[in-house]
Amino acid sequence: MTFHRVSFEDDDLKLKIGFIHFSSCSGCQVAFLDMFEDAVEIFDTVELVYSNLLTKRKEIPYMDVAFVEGAFCAEDPHHVKLIKELSEKAGMVIAIGGCAAFGGMRRFSCGSQMPQPSHQTFIPLTEIESIKRKVKFAIPGCPPNPSLLYNFFLAFLERNDDFLLPFEFIAQSRDASGFDLIKEVVNKGFCVGCGTCSTACPSRAISFKDVCGKPNFDADLCVRCGSCLAACPQSFKPYPQPVYT
Amino acid sequence: MLELNSRFLIGSYKKAVEVESRTGNNPLEELLSVMFDSNMIDGILSSRIEGEFSVPFLVVKGDRVEVPSLNRFFGSVALLKKAIQKYRLSRIAVVAPSCAIDGLNKTQYYGIGCNWVKTAVALKVGILCTGSLTGKALTAEVLHLTGKEKRIKRFFYDGGLFYQTEEGELIPVNLSVHHHYINAACRYCLNLSAKGTDITYFPLKEENRAVFIVRSERGWRVVASVQKERPELFRFRRLKKEDLEGIVSLLREKALLNIDDILERVELGLPVPKWNDNKLRKFYRIWNAVEDYNFEEEVF
Ligand code: SF4
Ligand code: SF4
Ligand code: SF4
Ligand code: SF4
Repeated sequence: MTFHRVSFEDDDLKLKIGFIHFSSCSGCQVAFLDMFEDAVEIFDTVELVYSNLLTKRKEIPYMDVAFVEGAFCAEDPHHVKLIKELSEKAGMVIAIGGCAAFGGMRRFSCGSQMPQPSHQTFIPLTEIESIKRKVKFAIPGCPPNPSLLYNFFLAFLERNDDFLLPFEFIAQSRDASGFDLIKEVVNKGFCVGCGTCSTACPSRAISFKDVCGKPNFDADLCVRCGSCLAACPQSFKPYPQPVYT
Repeated sequence: MLELNSRFLIGSYKKAVEVESRTGNNPLEELLSVMFDSNMIDGILSSRIEGEFSVPFLVVKGDRVEVPSLNRFFGSVALLKKAIQKYRLSRIAVVAPSCAIDGLNKTQYYGIGCNWVKTAVALKVGILCTGSLTGKALTAEVLHLTGKEKRIKRFFYDGGLFYQTEEGELIPVNLSVHHHYINAACRYCLNLSAKGTDITYFPLKEENRAVFIVRSERGWRVVASVQKERPELFRFRRLKKEDLEGIVSLLREKALLNIDDILERVELGLPVPKWNDNKLRKFYRIWNAVEDYNFEEEVF
């Protein structure tokens, strides 16, 4: 993993981070801010320089790391401007949540609120050529748990590669839904029937099929957040194996 | 070079004890009941048989404490979020085979899927496991082994793997036959003895006897407190390394079958899940390496 784009300014040692909002429900930003409140007390090396909910700044400043929620709306001039700014002003992009990482709810292209009505096009950041080289990590979830964001943030600041590696894979995969869980784990003969995917699913799209001891996926309920595949112990395992006493 | 010795098959542990429950109950159920009564735990996450199926099962105070009596463990972690976020449990005991505990470990380590899991688990009991079967697979296996359909009440280890029928008949289980009927993923499992848990549990021939392989400080504290709390309920016998030789050779026989399947899978180039970092290929390299390898650091 390369951190060369993340630079600490000589006159200011704080890591500048921002939160950028594309087409989304803002749930990820709320989870992030939930986590951030706890985290800043520990990490005084971090400064939140931009958030449409928390900071007053109109202009997006330079950011070492931009946490981004939501999918890009191709017909929205504001988004076009934002994506250009992001590619110029962010050292690194971390896609937070299903919308930014895999398209999430936006894949359905319907049910959006008025400024972004249903006839428009929504694309996850991991699929946009001009920005995707900056998207180093993607964090699954709808929204991701504050405790996942916290652990990620901690690992990121400590440069804990073992922890971060799966999120690098996830950023490269562009797609993850309950179908992926079935295709990648169950169909390949790796499902041990533990039920972790079902507990991880925020929308009850995964129940448990008692007859075969495997997950049962209901595509109508899936919001394409990628949590099930990420939580499955057969997709990747914690390394080294943690033992909590 | 990787050897199928007890270090690999059983892993490190503090003490191994044979536990006898003086009330005639299952010793693990007895232990967990005492833990409930003395507020050491406030819930148990496991699976149980309901009708034909193995279903996830959450025990809360007032419920009858049950641990799986058949080698059919499906869905144990499915109720984790419910336990923590709905019932607000904060001292959960988990009783499951190693693969389900991997799912839990992952949730604790990363925080994916469920909040606050890191501090909500009070005890991890890993069930020593040679493979998990669906109801239909178990029926077919018993038919294969005995030529007849029989209702199986429990499994246990006594030198080998055995089933006990409802009528009390004991059926020795040939591991090669067993290997054919277990869940597909169990054929690639390399943590049969649930390394990384607090206590590994396996039932013995008599229903009130079992072995606890106590691995962690926490596991040992639990056994000691329960013994102190209700000394009249249990009889403990410390096991020497030699006493575990029977189970080590059973695990070796099963591990060899699994390793054969892993090597074959890698050689055939069968796909693994994306994001998996190809653990099987990693094992393949380690298995074929001549130098010594610190496999205890590895997770397959
Ligand atoms: S991933 Fe879910 S919570 Fe996050 S912005 Fe999209 S819809 Fe909202
Ligand atoms: S099945 Fe559930 S966890 Fe999996 S991607 Fe869909 S909504 Fe997310
Ligand atoms: S988390 Fe993975 S291994 Fe566990 S039941 Fe779901 S698909 Fe199967
Ligand atoms: S053999 Fe392994 S994968 Fe299968 S149920 Fe047992 S511990 Fe889980």
